[in-house]
Amino acid sequence: MGNKLGVYFCDCGTAITDKIDSAKIEAGLAAAGESVHFRRHELLCSEEGKQFLENDLRENGVERAVICACSPRDHEQTFMRCMGKAGCNPYLMQMVNVREQIAWVCEDRDQATAKAMRAVKAAIGRVKLHQPLEKKEIDICVDALIIGGGPAGMRAALTIAESGRKAILVEKEPVLGGMPVRYEDTFPRMECAPCMLEPMMAEILHGEHAEHIEILTMAEVVETVGSYGNFTVTIHQRPRYVDAQKCIGCGECTAPCPAESPNPFNFGMGSKKAMSFPFAGALPNLTFLDESVCLRFAKNEPCKICQEACPVEGAVNFKDAPRTMQRTVGAIILAVGAQLYDCSNLPQLGFGKLPEVYTSAQFERLISSTGPTSGEIKTQAGEVPRSIAIVHCVGSLDSEHKSYCSGVCCQVAFKFNHLIGKRVPEAKIVHYFKELVTPGKEEFELRREAEHSANTTMIRYQQIRDLEVVSEQGRTAIRHKGGIARPVDMVVLCPALIGPEDAAKLCTMLETNVDGAGFLEELHGRMNSAQSKIKGIYLAGTCQAPGDIQKAMNQGMAAAGYVLSGLVPGRKLEISPVRAIVDEERCSGCRVCGSICPYKAINFDTEKKVSRVNEVLCQGCGTCVAACPAGSIWGNHFTNDEIFAEIEGMLK
Amino acid sequence: MSDTNSKPANGTFEPKIIGFLCNWCSYAGADKAGSQQTPQPPNVNVVRVMCSGRIDPQFVLKAFREGADGVIILACHPRDCHYKEGNYRAASRHRMLLQMLKQFGIDEARCRFDYVSAGEGERYIQLISETVESVRSLGPLQLA
Repeated sequence: MGNKLGVYFCDCGTAITDKIDSAKIEAGLAAAGESVHFRRHELLCSEEGKQFLENDLRENGVERAVICACSPRDHEQTFMRCMGKAGCNPYLMQMVNVREQIAWVCEDRDQATAKAMRAVKAAIGRVKLHQPLEKKEIDICVDALIIGGGPAGMRAALTIAESGRKAILVEKEPVLGGMPVRYEDTFPRMECAPCMLEPMMAEILHGEHAEHIEILTMAEVVETVGSYGNFTVTIHQRPRYVDAQKCIGCGECTAPCPAESPNPFNFGMGSKKAMSFPFAGALPNLTFLDESVCLRFAKNEPCKICQEACPVEGAVNFKDAPRTMQRTVGAIILAVGAQLYDCSNLPQLGFGKLPEVYTSAQFERLISSTGPTSGEIKTQAGEVPRSIAIVHCVGSLDSEHKSYCSGVCCQVAFKFNHLIGKRVPEAKIVHYFKELVTPGKEEFELRREAEHSANTTMIRYQQIRDLEVVSEQGRTAIRHKGGIARPVDMVVLCPALIGPEDAAKLCTMLETNVDGAGFLEELHGRMNSAQSKIKGIYLAGTCQAPGDIQKAMNQGMAAAGYVLSGLVPGRKLEISPVRAIVDEERCSGCRVCGSICPYKAINFDTEKKVSRVNEVLCQGCGTCVAACPAGSIWGNHFTNDEIFAEIEGMLK
Repeated sequence: MSDTNSKPANGTFEPKIIGFLCNWCSYAGADKAGSQQTPQPPNVNVVRVMCSGRIDPQFVLKAFREGADGVIILACHPRDCHYKEGNYRAASRHRMLLQMLKQFGIDEARCRFDYVSAGEGERYIQLISETVESVRSLGPLQLA
């Protein structure tokens, strides 16, 4: 490799030469005293053109090159590869966009040539200052952490495990399956959710690839350190008091347990024992002890009835203690799910005050065979309802509550309509809705069925405040726009899906963002909805946006795909050299850079009192370079001097 | 330094303008304008940076010192920044810069900040045309 500076001019067929006279550029450079090696080619991006460039660079001892052609957004990578093949450092190259930004937009040939001349001079001035840069490679861990054991998290974990890597699945509840596993029937085809999910859960728990999945229930991630390729995560696991290795899931411990509380798995309906399964059939098939209810832990009584009832020695273990563990992973998938909007924010609907007002989640449990009524639709008084009101859009499409449409609640409402029709055929159903949203190739059928049913009435309301649920002479009634109250036996509210409960906490820990709607913010809504804005942290399921099981499964698969394609065993992580570097000798430790870095890529060394850029996280935007008051951050490939030279060249 | 209005008598003044464009939105918008092959004034010479957040106020001062009559900074639209928030930094730095330029006696209209998306070729042409015209009406920048 020599030390010449080459200027390569691409005719681009005639697209460039129609407007720009390359001979004048060559002559102009000579007249300006620039000693450059000038070459023209009719189509530099063609196979023949690339070969020409590579040979010419090599044969003429060219060290640095200016390429006058199309937009660098088209072929910068192409020509950088040519540089590399010719033995040159690919970063000692600067493109001049003479096609899109000059030839195609200038009317006058002289003007275009003059403008190209300025741009070429600017590029020459700049490329002389370019530093040879090298991509860096670092070792990576190809395993992944998945937070949340619902459909999305399970799909992701299983997919990653199937590739032979380790997946660590952290679930804060004692049970896997997320929300849908608590539903008996799912729209649009009335398939039973446990029947769909249980085979997958069995794969995760006992299948061919189960050895690659570490399941940590009743566990939460409390700290993460590091970045893409190398995260160290700290996980805190609450004691279950039941040994997963010994418990056979017979449930003998449950029946004699003397302590009871409202059942959170039935959304407060019915009761559950301190020692119990979350619900019948919950997986993993293990009981757990709720210490906030247990007489032994909550009341300090010497009760050990469950232990005595257990047929396996040592399966119930009162000495179980919280565990803290660390794991190393290369990527993190967030699949923490969503929650329902709190209906008590709409007090006129009576939720929490009137006993016959239910949320959609509660009604799911009422119609589930593992729910508090074993699937029978009954009022609190134990009677079969003759009339049920279903209210759509609760807290949705409303600037005072949530302005978006969750897109799934209408289908849930029409599913209820179908199931009520099956189980209580004589019941009258009235739907109150603001909008009806049922897109999809299968999803309209339930709505059609409801709309054609003689027992179903559809009433559109404008504002949720037009609806009021009251108690009249001991009977629940619903009033629309101040009219006559319609007596009903039950009211089912279908609230908006809202972002996860611990979104803020997670985001603080992982440096990800919560979006305007309260969900975890994706990198791009259309292009990369399974990726967060932090490299190596992916999103799956309803924590990213409201959606159904189909979307959760797909997104779980997508997130796993990012892990599988980004972290490949045996391959190192390639880091672009176009990134910021702190000159630690000059850094005053003011931390301005750290406060503005959009990727939280700048850490502060408290011992040396200097900021330092994490080269994996840095995306090379250069925001910190411009912000550093001491001028002590270097923006590789976009240094101040390089840009100054470019400005000078343009204006000379 | 002061920016005295010294419009040439013959009215043929062609302002020299430096455009600082971010790679992902505004530079792509300028490419889009190019692909449409609609003629545009040739006065704007483009300096590409990865993000508008990289645009150091020194770049703008350097451009004026080297003889630019105007500067245009184009960023991604709010919420569209490829790097999340560099465009907001660019916007606030521009506000600060205008204060400084005023102290140097440089008319605010010589330093424009705006937003162009990757698809907005027409908007790019409109913005640079407006800037060329407004700088032209101010005449050459004369720094004392």
